[in-house]
Amino acid sequence: MKLWPFPKSPAWNEVIYWALDLETSGLSHDDQILSVGMVPIRKGIIEFGAHYYSLVRPIRPGALSAEGIKAHHILPGELDSAPPLEQVLEEIKARIGHGALLLHYSSVDLSFLQRYFRATGKPWVRPVVVDTVVLLARLGERRRQLEPHAKPFPTGLAAARATFGLPGHLEHHALWDALATAELFLVLRHKLQARTLRQLI
Amino acid sequence: MNPIEFVREQAPFHLLPDEALHQVERGLEITFYPRGSKVLARNGPKSEHLYMIRKGGARLERDGQPVLHLEEGELFGYPSLLSQDAPAFDVVAEEDLLVYRWPWAVFQKLLGYPAFAEMFTRGLAESLRLSTRAEGLGLVNVDMALPVGELVTRPPVFVPRSFTVGEAAQVMRSHQISSVLVEGEPTGILTDRDLRNRVLAAGKGPDTPLQEVMSAPAKTLPASTPLFEALSFMVRQGIHHLPLEQDGQIIGLITDTVFMRQQTKSPLYLLRRLERTRNPGDLAGYGQELSGVAESLLLGGLGASEIGRSVSALNDQLVRILLELAEERLGPPPTPYAWIVFGSEGRMEQALLTDQDNALVYQQDAPETAAYFEQLADFVVNGLIQAGFPPCPGGYMATRWRKSLSEWEQLFRHWLEAPKPQELLEAQIFFDFRAVHGELSLEPLERILAQGAEKGIFLAQLARASLQFRPPIGFFRQIKEEDGGVDIKKGGIAPIVSLARVYALEARSLAKGTVERLQAAARENKLSQDGAETLIEAFGFLMRLRLREQLVALRRGETPSNKVPLESLSPLERRHLKEAFSQVREMQEAMSHRFHTDRLG
Repeated sequence: MKLWPFPKSPAWNEVIYWALDLETSGLSHDDQILSVGMVPIRKGIIEFGAHYYSLVRPIRPGALSAEGIKAHHILPGELDSAPPLEQVLEEIKARIGHGALLLHYSSVDLSFLQRYFRATGKPWVRPVVVDTVVLLARLGERRRQLEPHAKPFPTGLAAARATFGLPGHLEHHALWDALATAELFLVLRHKLQARTLRQLI
Repeated sequence: MNPIEFVREQAPFHLLPDEALHQVERGLEITFYPRGSKVLARNGPKSEHLYMIRKGGARLERDGQPVLHLEEGELFGYPSLLSQDAPAFDVVAEEDLLVYRWPWAVFQKLLGYPAFAEMFTRGLAESLRLSTRAEGLGLVNVDMALPVGELVTRPPVFVPRSFTVGEAAQVMRSHQISSVLVEGEPTGILTDRDLRNRVLAAGKGPDTPLQEVMSAPAKTLPASTPLFEALSFMVRQGIHHLPLEQDGQIIGLITDTVFMRQQTKSPLYLLRRLERTRNPGDLAGYGQELSGVAESLLLGGLGASEIGRSVSALNDQLVRILLELAEERLGPPPTPYAWIVFGSEGRMEQALLTDQDNALVYQQDAPETAAYFEQLADFVVNGLIQAGFPPCPGGYMATRWRKSLSEWEQLFRHWLEAPKPQELLEAQIFFDFRAVHGELSLEPLERILAQGAEKGIFLAQLARASLQFRPPIGFFRQIKEEDGGVDIKKGGIAPIVSLARVYALEARSLAKGTVERLQAAARENKLSQDGAETLIEAFGFLMRLRLREQLVALRRGETPSNKVPLESLSPLERRHLKEAFSQVREMQEAMSHRFHTDRLG
């Protein structure tokens, strides 16, 4: 489905959103994707049962620090038996080809995805991207119009969720961060009273 | 905590085996409801999911009245799902609500795990209560389980004990209230009714000391008492003002007008009407109003036994008023007596007008005694007929059953010592007797009954009598329907009542209510705790089902009966009925083995 440009923007809940989170070995150019979690939102409902989660077999095993791995709740042995990156990217592609991509801090994950899609010779699918950090900023701006001295909303995933009364979750785990992003999105969508996809990007 | 860990901690998901978690995870959907939005609408589309609150709170509402608050981890939506009926309540998000839910198909699979399913099917009566269909039965606007303290609207007004009646009346006028509390120990109360009856009508003046005419100690209840209990307390005590207590302090007072503002079909409204009775002719229409009360209590979410207690309290009051009128006309009784009711009235399990079952016990036999009580019984029985109670076709009425205490003792001993099966079949309802009015103590009769438990032959014959009616259920547990439906009285209610009677007598319990009897028997190990609970549940379910069907019949202008057409039941109710019947059958078999009733002559 081609979502953009759209003659008339679809209603927000007619779109399938895939909340996605990557755990990586670091933030620099040569860091690797360790795991990916994806959770779909269909008709405005999070279908947790249809989630996708996978570890990724590292291309260069030596490059991973033991601490980094531990922070992501991943054991080195698990990575060895994980599917290779190409296969995981195929799974990601198959999903986001059918909807919008929902990310928290989109620039980080997007650059990793684009880089590795290019590196494995796959065309990047260029999905419509919805970023919960952007939505948070927008909501904060709206609030400042009424209360000029209000602080901006915190942008960290856990802190932002706490602000809106969402429960704590296991952080730095690709699946639970993706789910946490999806839940935060539902709240922000309501607070912004967004009715169409266009109002969310 | 991840979703599955959270779900696993909640009942009854904690009872699921590991292998089922995959289904829980695959079927999980997560949704968000902003504060104030409706998750389910009463009488709206039926629920399609089992819901669990992950974060936030929700409330069940009926006509804008909150009925129940739901918190994190609590489930909702399943009564509608199970009965495939419209939701009985609005479910409203009290705060922003994060909700987990599972589609019906997934829930159905999970119901395949018995331990998990039990939690949903166990509260038989409870879930039926929640799913009671309200169509055509009018509106309910008060939650009968609400703590009565929540109806208090203003702090209590006290006056010093040294006040005169006139001073107290001025305080009442300036506050525009119908009663004042009196300081000091114990707390007293003066109501406008007292001003009329105890002051003016007694020819006293405004200078009368307050202490002379107030009621002290004032009858109070804790503010946390459920509304329906407060209601029946007021009916029983015949009071119209009820001070409420919290932490040893009176926090306020409710009057019967509070209830009446809430609903004209309240028991207190009917009580007021009863109190205005000056002759039996005033009682016409009582029966209809009583079924209105039962209906509104049913819709208020009360169980059959609470309704039974409330209705019985009213009927008792009616009998007392008739007896007082009779005594006014005939003069004081020549010897102490007791007016007793038995059968369902004795057990306080009456919800609608049924045949009269009453009798008279008096202390001494003397020539003038017989004539006095004959007239007294005639007056009351006829009054009851005018109020709408049909005469008992078996003739169990005080007009015929009128004996001195010693004659009654002889009769009871005869039943206990040389029980003849047919006689006992008829006599067993006498063992549910309860005194409603009169000075005479019935302790001697209770004592004889308690001794009966020691006589094996009596219990065995009684056990046999309890097997007279069998549940209409076939070998493969299919329900057998006769003309016009399933007779749930013969098939379920009567067997449970008689089983409970035997068990209670065996446990030497003097309890009269079926539920109390079963509980007492379980306490004395005459019956397993499980067995008692099962029967209590089945009993509550059957009683409520019957009441509902009877009220529907009355609404349609038909005569209420004990038969329920199978097609009028939802699939869930049918399943519950089948379950209740098979449990009764099992308990009957156990009873038969225990007393070797097959070997009785």
